[in-house]
Amino acid sequence: MKQIDCQQCGTAVLVEKFSIPHTSVQWVSDAATSCPRFAEATADARDSVCGTTALSCSSLSQSIDDAVRDGRLPIKSRVEPVIGDALVADAL
Amino acid sequence: MSIDMTEVTDSEQFDEVRLIDAGSNPTRFARGWHCLGRSKDFRDGKPHTVKVFGTKVVIWADTKGKLNVLDAFCRHMGGDLSKGEIKGDEISCPFHDWRWGGDGKCKDVPYAQRVPLRARTAAWETMEVNGLLFVWNDPQGNPPPADVTIPEIPGFGTSEWSDWSWNTFLVEGSNCREIVDNVVDMAHFFYVHYQMPQYFKNIFEGHVAAQHMRSTGRDDIHTGVQLDMPDSETISDAAYYGPSFMLDTVYTVAGDTTVETKLVNCHYPISQDSFVLMFGTTVHTIDGVTQEQADGMAEMFTEGVETQFKQDVEIWKHKTRIENPLLTAEDGPVYQLRRWYEQFFVDVEDITEDMVARFEFEVDTTKALETWKVEVAENVAKGIVPEQDPTKAKA
Repeated sequence: MKQIDCQQCGTAVLVEKFSIPHTSVQWVSDAATSCPRFAEATADARDSVCGTTALSCSSLSQSIDDAVRDGRLPIKSRVEPVIGDALVADAL
Repeated sequence: MSIDMTEVTDSEQFDEVRLIDAGSNPTRFARGWHCLGRSKDFRDGKPHTVKVFGTKVVIWADTKGKLNVLDAFCRHMGGDLSKGEIKGDEISCPFHDWRWGGDGKCKDVPYAQRVPLRARTAAWETMEVNGLLFVWNDPQGNPPPADVTIPEIPGFGTSEWSDWSWNTFLVEGSNCREIVDNVVDMAHFFYVHYQMPQYFKNIFEGHVAAQHMRSTGRDDIHTGVQLDMPDSETISDAAYYGPSFMLDTVYTVAGDTTVETKLVNCHYPISQDSFVLMFGTTVHTIDGVTQEQADGMAEMFTEGVETQFKQDVEIWKHKTRIENPLLTAEDGPVYQLRRWYEQFFVDVEDITEDMVARFEFEVDTTKALETWKVEVAENVAKGIVPEQDPTKAKA
């Protein structure tokens, strides 16, 4: 997974792309507080779907799309993920 | 744009046989709220026997209507309390009439001068939400945290919602992780349940694991979950709240008509290789839908879902447990789901950040839909209708 910083708020997440439509995002900070959009959604609960903070953050989605376009985020095939603490530790 | 689409084929680099690691079932039962069924089914003035968490429990309503759950085996001589009688607030053992309270303490031994010391049995904390009974299981014996709960359905219990249509299946020979795995399994919705997922995204965060799916039916086969509404689209936002209880908000949309259904999919473990699977449906009755129509739709939807569960059970009956699934890019995040699920099987102090941090995964359905449209069109052209009942298919 590759670190992508949100253009809007700077929150760092780990991202993986297997194709243009596919996106996998691993948060390494508390999503509900570190993303201002999510924080707002949580405070007001309107955007909250199913008890998770929100379906997605449009600024982060845009940052990921831009990273793909700029070649900073390569599209890869799937590999079996490392499970456990090592996943977060290795990637950052 | 840099897209590395180089695919590694098995024959080029990996010619070893892929071995299945079947692993082993967990050694404890999950921490969390477990639904045991509809509250009203336990309020008939009789004690109820439920096999759960590797033991047997007794469930009864006391004089205030509170539902109590105790280990069924009397600490005196091992009698089965669930075969006894409710006497006042207590459950009485059929063997020697020892009286046990909902707090787990023996309140009276009518033939004895006093109740012995240590006359305390295992009691499970209970909760009632949306007309359903939940018990809190924690191998460490801690009380439930306030923020780990089951969301209420707004307006449930009023005429806004039809009664729960409720069904129960006994699944033997499988660990309950099999049903949880389905949360991420986009492709099985086509092959096992005859749905066409158009959009599929999972989000795991804290004790919640969500599945957001937009799907349509198939032209070659019609299922009950389509509610007999032609060309209907299904918008489903479902989430597990803890290890065993999924609440799904389903909108079935066809033209100007939208039907909102709440679907519960939950289970409780009997042992490590058997569990009780339950599902319930309730339909929103407003928007020009009468109570009768709503009940009728709930029945139809339930029949559709019942078929789906039978299809799952048929798969589980014959499959192996697998720790190392071999995945394509189009499969959902099985490994990350299991990492999330692991939080319920370790002590609270051993929960690691990676088990609960937010994780999002949006599946690419492009190739799947291309393939499935062709398969469905071929069936339609040949007049083939796939068999829905798994006990009749592929016999």
